[in-house]
Amino acid sequence: MPRRVLIGFVTILVVCILWYGMTTGLGIIPSGRFPSPAETWSALIHVSGRGYGGGDLAIHVYTSLRLVVLGFLFAIATGVPLGLLMGWSRRAEAFINPIFLIIRPIPPLAWIPLAILWLGLGDAAKMMVIWFSAFVPSVINTYAGVRNIDRPVLEAAYMLGMPKARFVTEVLVPGASPMMFTGLRLSLQASWTTLVAAELVGAFYGIGRVLNVAQQDLYPGMILVGMIAVAILGWSTTKALGMAEQRALRWNTAALAARG
Amino acid sequence: MNKQISLAHSVGLGFLGLACFIGLWHGLATSGLVPAVFLPSPVDVYDRFSTLLERRFAGATLPGHLAASFQRFAYGFVLAALIGIPLGLLMGWYQVLDEIVSPLFDALRFVAPIAWVPFAALWFGTGIGGPIMIIFAGAFPPCVINAYRGAKFVDPRLIEAANMLGTPSHRVIREVLLPSSVPSIISGLRVSAGLGWQSLVGAELIVASAGVGYMMVQGQANVSTTTVMAGMVAIGLVGLALDSALRLIERIIQRRRGLDQ
Amino acid sequence: MGVIQFQDVGKIFGPKTSGFKALQDINLEIRDKEFVAIVGPSGCGKTTCLRMVAGLDNPTAGVVSVDGTPIKRPGPDRAVVFQQFALFPWKTVYDNIDVGLRNLNVARREREARIADILNLMNLTQYAGHFPHQLSGGMQQRVAIARAYVLDPDVLLMDEPFGALDAQTRVVMQEELVRLARKNPRTVLFITHAVEEAVYLADRVAIMPRAPGRIKEVRDIAAIRNAENWDSHEKIEDVMDLESFVHLRTHIWRSLREEKAAQHA
Repeated sequence: MPRRVLIGFVTILVVCILWYGMTTGLGIIPSGRFPSPAETWSALIHVSGRGYGGGDLAIHVYTSLRLVVLGFLFAIATGVPLGLLMGWSRRAEAFINPIFLIIRPIPPLAWIPLAILWLGLGDAAKMMVIWFSAFVPSVINTYAGVRNIDRPVLEAAYMLGMPKARFVTEVLVPGASPMMFTGLRLSLQASWTTLVAAELVGAFYGIGRVLNVAQQDLYPGMILVGMIAVAILGWSTTKALGMAEQRALRWNTAALAARG
Repeated sequence: MNKQISLAHSVGLGFLGLACFIGLWHGLATSGLVPAVFLPSPVDVYDRFSTLLERRFAGATLPGHLAASFQRFAYGFVLAALIGIPLGLLMGWYQVLDEIVSPLFDALRFVAPIAWVPFAALWFGTGIGGPIMIIFAGAFPPCVINAYRGAKFVDPRLIEAANMLGTPSHRVIREVLLPSSVPSIISGLRVSAGLGWQSLVGAELIVASAGVGYMMVQGQANVSTTTVMAGMVAIGLVGLALDSALRLIERIIQRRRGLDQ
Repeated sequence: MGVIQFQDVGKIFGPKTSGFKALQDINLEIRDKEFVAIVGPSGCGKTTCLRMVAGLDNPTAGVVSVDGTPIKRPGPDRAVVFQQFALFPWKTVYDNIDVGLRNLNVARREREARIADILNLMNLTQYAGHFPHQLSGGMQQRVAIARAYVLDPDVLLMDEPFGALDAQTRVVMQEELVRLARKNPRTVLFITHAVEEAVYLADRVAIMPRAPGRIKEVRDIAAIRNAENWDSHEKIEDVMDLESFVHLRTHIWRSLREEKAAQHA
C-alpha cells in the first residue's frame, strides 16, 4: 500500500513541522506546557549522559524492562497451567471460577497500595502487581482457548489413545494457543500500564520514576522523553511477542493465507 | 471435553471454592502467622467498610470518595465517547481520514494511559481536570477502534441494497451505516468503561486530593490495610456494576439484531 | 481379529424414564474383515452406534463388544474417521499420521516405513509437510483415512466420512475406498445417509429408520456383487447402471420410506 505509507509519512512530517512551529517558531505553546524539539533532545542527552532521577537512561530502561519481562513470564508460567486446568476439568472450573468472579472486577492498579504495604517500594511489590495484572488475562484466555478446541479433534485424540502428558502438550496447548496469544497480548499491555503506574507511585529506578521526578521538577522535555521511552518499550515487546506468536501459530497463519 | 457435571454439583463446588478461599484468608489472618496489620481478616475488612460508609477518612466518607471518583469518571468517559465514536466512524467511512489519523493513533497507542499523568497534572492540575484527562486517555482508544471496525466492516450487500433502492447518501449513513455499527460501538464502550475506570484509579493513586484511589493512598500511608482493602472492594463493586450495566445493553441490542445464538 | 457385536443395545439421552430414546434393541454382528454400512436418515441414531463401538458413547442397555470384550473407552485398536476430518490443525500431514503410531510406541524406523507406505498408497507423499488447512476437503479426509489405516486397527469406524465433501470429490473417494478395502480388507463399520454409497461400498447394509433407532433389515450385498462381478467395473457410474445395483438401491430406498410413511400416518 504505497499510498497509505505515503500519506502516513506526510502526516508524521506535518505533525513534526507543527510541533516545531507551535513551540520554537511561533511560540504559541509556552515551553512550560509542552517542550520544543530542541528541549526534548537536550532532555534525552541529559538523561542518557549525566543521568536523571537517580540513574541514566540505560538503568531506567533496564529496570522497567526486566520487571515487565519477569513479571510477565511469571504470570504466564502460573496463569497458563491454571487456564488449561480450568478449561479441561469442569470440576476445577466450578471450584475456581467464583473466586475469579470476585477478584476480577478489582483493577490491577488498585492492588498497588496493598503491594506497597506488603512489600515496600522495591522490585517485589512491582512484580506482584505486574504478575497480578498479567495473570488474569492469561488464565481467562487460555481457559476460553481450551473450550474453543473442536470437539471432534479432542475425540480424535482419545481415539488415537493419547497418553495424558502428550495430550496436554500436543492437543490442549496448541489448540488453545490462538486465544492464549490474544490473552498474552492483553497481559503484556496490562503489564506495562501497571508497571508505569507502580513506578509513578514510588520507585528508585525505572521509566515511571523518570516521569515522576520530571513531573515534580516541572520538566516537560523529560516528561516527553519518558513517554516516548514507554511507547518504544511497549511497542518493541509487543512486536517480540507478535513474532513469537507468528512462529507458534504457523499452522494457523497458513490457514488464514489459504482462505485469503 | 472432560465429563459434564450437574448444576447442583457445580454450584456446590463453587461454594466450596469460595469457602476455601475466604476460610484460608481468615485462617491465615487470625492464626498470628501474619501480623494483623498487614493481613486483616475478612471480618475486619467488612467492619472497616461499614465504618467508612459513615465516618470520614482522608476528607470524606467512602460514598463521598466514590461520588468524587465517579464524577471524574463520567466526565472522562463521556468525553472519550463523544470524540472517539464520531472519529472512529468517520475513519471507517472516509479512507483519507483513516490514512491520515491511523499512523498518529498507532504511535500514541503504545503510550500506556497512565504515562499521561505528568502532562495531565501539568496541563489541567490535580483537581478534576488532570484525572479526567487520564480517564480520557484510557477510554478513548477502544471507542475509536470499535467504532472504526463497526463502520469499516459493514456488510457491503447492505450498502449495495440501499444504493440499488436509490437511497441518498446522507440517508445511507443514517439508516444503514450507523445502525449496523451499533453493536460494535457498544462493545467498545464496555471495554473503554473498564479501562477508563482502571485508569481513574491509577490517576487517583498518583495525583488527586479526593476519590477512592486517594483514600487508598492515605490508607497505605497510615498503614491501614483495612482501609486499602475496603477501597479495593468498593472499586471492584463499582467496576462490576458498570460492566454489568453495559453488558446488559450490549445483550439487549444483540438480541434485537438476532446476533446471539 | 475384529468382530463387532451389538447385543440388545439401547441408548437413552438424558434421564432414564423421560429422556430421548435414540436406540432400541440393536442386535448386529459384524464379522471379521466384513464391511457393513448402516444407512438411515439424519438423527436416526446411526452415528451413536458407531460412537459406542469407538468408546466415545456408552450404551444405556445391552453390550457392545469387539472380539467378545465389552468396550469401555476409546483406543487406537478401533480407529475412527470422522465426518469433520478432525485432523490436528497444528500438525503437518506427516505428524498427524504419526500421532497414533507414537501412542502405540512403535519404533521410529518402523513408523517411518509405515507412514511412507500409507502416504504412497493414498497419493499423499508430496503433501507430507503441509498443514491441514492448506489442503482441500478431499485431501484432508484422505489424510484422516491414512491416519486410521496406518494403525492397522482391528476395526475401522467411518462416520459419514464423505458427507462434507462435494459430489465430484465424493465419487473419487468412494472409488478409492473400494480399492483400498478390497486390497486390504478390514472390519469396517460405515455410517451414511446415502443409500447408493452404502450399496456401492458395503458387504452388508443395515437399514435404520428414524428414532427410536432400530435395525429394520439387514441386506446382503456381497453375494450379489460377486455374482454380478461389480468389481470388474472401475468407475462408480458403471456399477450404478447395473440392473442388480439399481434393484438393491430401490429396495433399500423403499424400505426406508415405507417406515416414514407408516410413522406419518
